[in-house]
Amino acid sequence: MTASSVDEVGQRSVQSAGGVGGRPNQHRRRTHRPPGLPWILPALILSVGLIYYGIGYTGYISTLNWDGISPDAQHVGTHNYARIFHDPVFWAAVRHTVVFFVVTFVIQTGLGLAFAVIMHARLKLAAVYKVIIFVPVVLAPAIMAPVFRHMFAPDGELNGVLRAVGLGSLAQPWIGQTSTALPVIMFITIWEWTGVTFVLYYAAMTQIDPAILEAARMDGAGPVRTLMSIIWPEMRGTTVALAILGAIGALKTFDVPYLVTIGGPNYATEFLGTYIYRQTIPLDHVGYGAALSIILLVVALVMAVILQWAGRDRKARD
Amino acid sequence: MRPKIRLSAAVVAALVASVLTACGGSGGSSDPGSATSGTINWWGWTPTDTATAQNYISAFNKQYPNIKVNYKLVNISDWVAALRPALASGKGPDVFDMQPGAYVTQFKSFAEDQTSLAQQALGSDWKSKVAPIGISGLTADGKLTAMSVGAVYAGMLWINGNLFKQYNLQPPKTLDEWKQVCQAFKSHNVGCFVQGAAQEGFDQDTLQSIANSVQPGLWTKASTGDAKWNDPGIVKTLEIWKDLFTGGIMQPGAVGYQQYPDSNNDFLTGKYAMVMMGTWYTQYATTKAMTAALSAAGVSGAKPFPILPIAFPDVAGAGNSSEMYGDADFGLAISTKSKSRAAAETFVKWMTTTTAGQQVIADQLNDLPALKSVTPDFDSIQLVDPASQKSPVQDLVTKVGNVTEPREALLSADVQTAILAAATSVATGKASPQDAANTLQQAAEAAGETFK
Repeated sequence: MTASSVDEVGQRSVQSAGGVGGRPNQHRRRTHRPPGLPWILPALILSVGLIYYGIGYTGYISTLNWDGISPDAQHVGTHNYARIFHDPVFWAAVRHTVVFFVVTFVIQTGLGLAFAVIMHARLKLAAVYKVIIFVPVVLAPAIMAPVFRHMFAPDGELNGVLRAVGLGSLAQPWIGQTSTALPVIMFITIWEWTGVTFVLYYAAMTQIDPAILEAARMDGAGPVRTLMSIIWPEMRGTTVALAILGAIGALKTFDVPYLVTIGGPNYATEFLGTYIYRQTIPLDHVGYGAALSIILLVVALVMAVILQWAGRDRKARD
Repeated sequence: MRPKIRLSAAVVAALVASVLTACGGSGGSSDPGSATSGTINWWGWTPTDTATAQNYISAFNKQYPNIKVNYKLVNISDWVAALRPALASGKGPDVFDMQPGAYVTQFKSFAEDQTSLAQQALGSDWKSKVAPIGISGLTADGKLTAMSVGAVYAGMLWINGNLFKQYNLQPPKTLDEWKQVCQAFKSHNVGCFVQGAAQEGFDQDTLQSIANSVQPGLWTKASTGDAKWNDPGIVKTLEIWKDLFTGGIMQPGAVGYQQYPDSNNDFLTGKYAMVMMGTWYTQYATTKAMTAALSAAGVSGAKPFPILPIAFPDVAGAGNSSEMYGDADFGLAISTKSKSRAAAETFVKWMTTTTAGQQVIADQLNDLPALKSVTPDFDSIQLVDPASQKSPVQDLVTKVGNVTEPREALLSADVQTAILAAATSVATGKASPQDAANTLQQAAEAAGETFK
């Protein structure tokens, strides 16, 4: 409930109690207005108590050489951070994150926009297609991971189909070699999240004034020209929002690579999330994992500032 | 406003206190509880199927009907993530599996010292009655963190007897023979050898066996710091490892495979004829366990087939016999925070020190029992094909009785990770055997391993 609505409710209750306005009633309303602290206390505890305390504590343990449970943690200052910059797996994870974001964002955007445009045409069974496109979004990766592991196995369905259509030479151990494991992870992610891109573009397209499209048609613009010169520019806000979501998603990527390839083979699908987990839990390097988490936080903050700045710049131009 | 501020501060303090109290959990209990009744929770990654664990518990309950044991199976890949917070919070298991090596280091502070339990159950000369491999690996800082249930050994292969018989093939004894056998299977569209090369423990087994073929004992020397990980013998080991991939022995995409469930299921479903597994696989020589395993692998109505242990081939061609190696498979640790410590001690004592408990373990063929006086009763064990299996299985059980070479007990989690990185980087062609060995040596030094 917002502050204004609280005031309105308070005012109405005072009026219904017999007041007809005037100073005495205003005084009574101020007197009986509930204190603000209890209203914000849950959010305050959640944000300050958990999130900011958590960040601060993570920052502290990032200066320790600690396994997470032993009482004798060793203070190592910035050693963990110095180690990160010489850690080839960390840089591999960064590279994978960048490639993953660029590829998944571009393809998801293209597919989502294309589906949205097609669905806005008068298509039979459009509702069915919408459901089919959106269903992967609601399926848990933990459920789908074994399916994909089977599908991309050397004797899995994909290779079976390739062999059946005479393309057996293209059959690969898709998740068992470094060259194709990351593309498989990106494929799964695109399959999973294109539904969200489609829904957002589809909703945004309903906001375009039909008169503009009609005017373009009357001026002789074909479907492609209309798409590129009218629809796409109108989608800019949605695209920026999807870019932000995609970037955040890339930084947080954990479930699909962990469940499908365990970050392998040979770290070929290692991401920051999987690497932090690997260091913190199986290897007990809680201090080093915390330092990686702080680096991830800094990268996310820098990215947020850049995107925020880009958004302001756009408004200024507009 | 001051009363309000005070009230608010009190509310905040109360909430923070309640949160902190909730986070703090409960500590250990000084009252050990009853030794003959109560409920205890046992967490383990092995036995890998709950039916086996239930079999142990049922036998235990014949003697102690008033102690209820709840077994919770946790996948080994999730073991540390699940157990650490559970033990730290005090809400975890009363009894938990312990394995020599990294787990002892990680969880020793949560485990009761069981030295007095062993003395009480077996007498002052208890060490002479238990397999030594089950004591050393589970002892840390002078504390016996767990009592060994049994031991497992590795360093051999298991083959599908039916497939070898069907295609009239003999088990390979050298690297060249192994390649020829694989070619023969491939010509019949049957997979040859399957390995979950994405998991470090099983890569280590294969690498240790290759190293023992190159130079017996070298792997253990590198593990103890008596030799370096970039010793020429280790480089040669990695070269042969690479040859398994390029020579058509390893299945395509092996570095993306996990031993469990991928390789296990592929072998049990007859897709591949050979697999690198240890003595824990002996249980699948029995009709009962093989039938259950086939069902778990998703094969409905499949007929159990005989599996046979064979020696690891002399892949280096140096004439070295196949040395096996082993550790205590798992011991049972008692949580320092258990509220049913006495009942937990009764269960652990029965499982690890009594003839009745150890006989159940032995006859399951998942582990070779910790008590020296107990051996599997082959007259009561129903093998799939006794004619072909009884002799090699009995020979295996006899052979491992003399094994002293450790399997994983000497390796830290960091070194194991570095071994996996070396194995997969060589297998995928990202590093030469020499470069991978050099990187492994650097990683071992960085992990604190000291070398002479």
